[in-house]
Amino acid sequence: MSGATEENPAPVAATAPRPRKHPLSYLIRFQSLLGLILVVVGGIIFSPRRHGHILFLGPENIANIVRSISETGILALGMTFVIIAAGIDLSVGAVLGLSSVLTAALLVNQGWGLATTLPLVVVVATLFGLMQGYLSTRLRIQAFIVTLAGLQAARGLALIASDNTFININYGHGPGSAPPAFAILGERLFGDTFPVATLVFLALAIVATFLLNQTRYGRYVFAVGGNERAARLSGIPVRWIKISVYGLSGLCAGIAGIVHAGQFSFGSPNDGSGYELSAIAAVVIGGTDLFGGAGSMIGTIAGAVMLGALANILQLNDVSAAMQLLATGAIIVLAAGLQTLVGGRDGSSR
Amino acid sequence: MSLPILVLSGIEKRFGGVQALRGVDFTLSAGEIHVLLGENGAGKSTLMSIISGAAQPDHGAMSLDGAPVNFQTPRDAHAAGIVMIPQELDLVPGLDIAANLFLGHEQLTGIRTLARSRMMREAHELLRRAGVSLDPALLVSSLRMGERQLVAIAKALAAEARILILDEPTAALSATEAEYLFGTVRELRARGVGIIYISHRLEEVPRIADRVTVMRDGGVVGEAAPDAPQAELVRMLVGKDFKDLFPPRAGLLGEPILNLVHARFVPLVDRAGWQAPQDVSLTVHEGEIVGLSGLMGAGRTELLSALYGFEARGRWVGRVEIGGRPVKLGSVATARRAGMAYVTDDRRGTGLVLGQSVARNIVMSTLPRVTPWGLASASREQAEVSAALSRFDVRPRVPSTRVVNLSGGNQQKVVFAKELLSGPHLLLLDEPTRGVDVGAKAEIYRQLRDLASAGLGVLVASSELPELLGLCDRIIVMHGGITVASFDAGVSEETLRRYSLGEVQAA
Amino acid sequence: MKTVKASLMATTFAAAAFAMVAPGAQAAQSIAKTCGPNNQYVIGFSQANFKEPYREHVNHDLQTLVKNYPQFKLVIADGQANDNTQVSQVENFLTQQVDILFISAFEAAPLTPAVSRIYKAGIPVIEMDRATEGNDYTSFVSGDNRAIAKEAGEYAAKLLPDGGEVAILEGLPSSSPAIERLEGFKAGIAGNSKITVVATQPVDWMQDKAVTVFSAMLQAHPDIKLVYTSNDLAAAGAYIAVKQANKLGQVKIIGTDGLPGPSGGIRSVADGEWAATFVYPTGAAEALDLAKKILIDCATSVPRLVTVPTSRIDADNAKEIYAKGG
Repeated sequence: MSGATEENPAPVAATAPRPRKHPLSYLIRFQSLLGLILVVVGGIIFSPRRHGHILFLGPENIANIVRSISETGILALGMTFVIIAAGIDLSVGAVLGLSSVLTAALLVNQGWGLATTLPLVVVVATLFGLMQGYLSTRLRIQAFIVTLAGLQAARGLALIASDNTFININYGHGPGSAPPAFAILGERLFGDTFPVATLVFLALAIVATFLLNQTRYGRYVFAVGGNERAARLSGIPVRWIKISVYGLSGLCAGIAGIVHAGQFSFGSPNDGSGYELSAIAAVVIGGTDLFGGAGSMIGTIAGAVMLGALANILQLNDVSAAMQLLATGAIIVLAAGLQTLVGGRDGSSR
Repeated sequence: MSLPILVLSGIEKRFGGVQALRGVDFTLSAGEIHVLLGENGAGKSTLMSIISGAAQPDHGAMSLDGAPVNFQTPRDAHAAGIVMIPQELDLVPGLDIAANLFLGHEQLTGIRTLARSRMMREAHELLRRAGVSLDPALLVSSLRMGERQLVAIAKALAAEARILILDEPTAALSATEAEYLFGTVRELRARGVGIIYISHRLEEVPRIADRVTVMRDGGVVGEAAPDAPQAELVRMLVGKDFKDLFPPRAGLLGEPILNLVHARFVPLVDRAGWQAPQDVSLTVHEGEIVGLSGLMGAGRTELLSALYGFEARGRWVGRVEIGGRPVKLGSVATARRAGMAYVTDDRRGTGLVLGQSVARNIVMSTLPRVTPWGLASASREQAEVSAALSRFDVRPRVPSTRVVNLSGGNQQKVVFAKELLSGPHLLLLDEPTRGVDVGAKAEIYRQLRDLASAGLGVLVASSELPELLGLCDRIIVMHGGITVASFDAGVSEETLRRYSLGEVQAA
Repeated sequence: MKTVKASLMATTFAAAAFAMVAPGAQAAQSIAKTCGPNNQYVIGFSQANFKEPYREHVNHDLQTLVKNYPQFKLVIADGQANDNTQVSQVENFLTQQVDILFISAFEAAPLTPAVSRIYKAGIPVIEMDRATEGNDYTSFVSGDNRAIAKEAGEYAAKLLPDGGEVAILEGLPSSSPAIERLEGFKAGIAGNSKITVVATQPVDWMQDKAVTVFSAMLQAHPDIKLVYTSNDLAAAGAYIAVKQANKLGQVKIIGTDGLPGPSGGIRSVADGEWAATFVYPTGAAEALDLAKKILIDCATSVPRLVTVPTSRIDADNAKEIYAKGG
């Protein structure tokens, strides 16, 4: 719903009477950012201070936050397409693991170069996603089931690819080590502040936002998720759209897996376990409707950053494990609840 | 007739700046079916909310059995024996009929478990009293709409209803189901239940009503005889003559657009109750409105969806031509390439994305045009949308309004705008005025005629004979998937009916 | 497979006899029902999970060392970090009538009844790393988590003679090794009163979480001089965080596990990335030795507890050990 209000700001007919702006509507515009604002304000209030500086807002700390969400953020970008198309993809964490292991295995064990390894990993992950989409639409199995099965399958493939172990990535030349250029994914740029992993996320976020909001494909995704029959009646290639969103999600998981391998110089078949839930949480907190047809990419990005900032402020304050879990749960519900509250007024105020 | 049990006098109700009811008098007797007619916004719903306790009048008095009553909540009205059955039935699909009938007041055994067999027995009795022969152990989700309607009525009986309010109960029913419902309603009347029956369908009135009250603009226009001709009812409803609803015919025909000669549709899979077109011959010309008539199950809807390839997989055999050239129809893509557009009878369900903006909906079928190179072009989209909004007079004329917030009539306009924006040559329409009040019907007729004069061919299926007779240039009667006859505008209802029943075979 | 079937027949009777006499009361009786140097034996190993590198290391050690015993066949089952899965695997081993059970329980209490059942059915049970509750097992082979962590704490106290700020990255908060290692380390550094522990956070044994958490710690406490991590993966994560914060050389890292190979902690110490790591022994050699005594030598008794000593890997010995392959 936020997508619709954001993208049609200009009145079309000059003669048409423009409805008076409800004061709340400004809040509604930022609906998807509400959770983030909440957490940032809380972060500033509760942040430890040193020499009068708010640690939470320090550039290194911000860099830490955006680095920590780069992988789940990338997953959430793909997940946004899937959920707007009224689907769900539970396999992303496992596909991340598969891609991470595959990257490490090909670079280290097989001694392949980056130019062959990285495209291959991305293609494998994308095909994996497309396969799930195909099975779900063709056999009419619920996406939840198909991708749950996909989660298991991807973990199994990861175990095979890694030969049941984990692979350390050493840099250097010759057999048994990866090209040193790959280490850049773990570096920080611009005076050691900006993590490269975040840069990848940012670049993909821009592409994803553009794809969702500014292209025909994005419109098709909204239409299919909003009302599949109406979309079919309008001549939209419904089946292809439904398959392709899983391909996009797989693509994102593939890239996230490469980033994971690069960031940690390590590929393990267990990488990214549970990441799918963080990604789904980011999407839903960002205001995307789990039933499809409504949502925004900006919201998803804000949701991902919110989750990272929340974990960060709790860790800065050395909050105990139990309290971290409790606080995270409470704040997710609070953020989502506030959004529905404000979103609900959107509907009834007209 | 006996004394009225329910009497309302001088009821007034105001919502903000709108005077919803201006001094309404209304009575209901025991054992009477009182039909209440009115356009959307005439005040029927407000009046019913007051009777059923969901709203309180600003002025006026209501009495039940001679004693003044003042219901504060629907629960009060319910306790007094007044039950309203809304259009959206409040049944739980996943539970069986018995569980639905006893929902909220389940009977328990001594050890506080559900008294299942006792409830089954009583449910059986309740259904029998409502004249329904259904097994109470059936899941509601397995029932057809008409059967659900009957279960809802049985549920009202379980609550010892003395006054039953039915809000457009036949809106979603087939003709046979509706007939069955009438039987049940008449039986309840015989038991002394007072029934308020709200309807849009004028043709139902003579078959069910004991008394008819017509409302307009928050007031009662008057009472009509149950056998009053439709023309008179329409005049009371909209203040216009019936024949004025239909725009004059243009009479100028262009080239043939769609031409079917002994065409047959072979479905990929046979579906029960899906009457595949067996032997269809018809022609639709530019500028022509052709009606499809026939009983339920004659294959009207199936013909349209098979032509468009929508939720009908299979292939056509025989001669199928568009614009004089043979085409292979069978998928939405080919139908659209051939210049067809389709508006189903379920406009909200298949025509609109309710949660999205008017603009998004309107450009949905023409996305390739407003997205050159696959990129969304805001300027093209605005141009298309603003042109469509003014051409179809959608109100409010704000592209960012969510469709769900529009009135039913405006939603309808959005559907038409969306379909016609793609510039089709042939429009397929299924029951274009189902669930629409008379005023909005006239608006739709006018638009269709305007479109036809601009060269569009229209093929419209409808179960309302007066509508087909008033609107169409030609009417084709179907029976069992076969086009049995074709008539020009002047044909009589009686003739159409006889051919529809299959009593007469076409020459 | 034939031997399994044969021993199945034998054990049915043996088990019946066994049940009548209290186990352990017969001093002259051998522990195993079938034993001797001329049979083939199946060792069923129920591993808690294959996820943690340490588990993988145990599997690898067992698989390598079992080759020294031609009579033994090793079958490993993955408990998938799930009590329920592991219980059913133990039950399956009972059904298959393995000759001896090795088990590394994911959690002690939930596995106890299943292990009890297999033990009472006359199958010797060697527990590794974590003991189930009660007495129904033959022997427990383990490193001492508390002792290892205490040694790490004492080493840290020596590394920082002038004291300073210390951080701890804990394992999965509810698991007993995590608790014991945390307590042991705190006990070890207690000797140096100038050291203060400024932050303790769980990272669930995970590398990626360790990076995020330790990055935040370095923000909140820029003067951290040393970080103790409850496993090698977390130490690797801490190293990445230190590197990203541009504090290489300013923060000493101590790992735990001391895994061999290019992905392990020994290499990290050898490369100078960490100050030290403390070997948590797999106990594979000791467990196999017990199996040999029980099955091949027909031992009548074995020690109930075998504690495997730890060793410190630091700059002095890391290169040498790494060169030897761990």
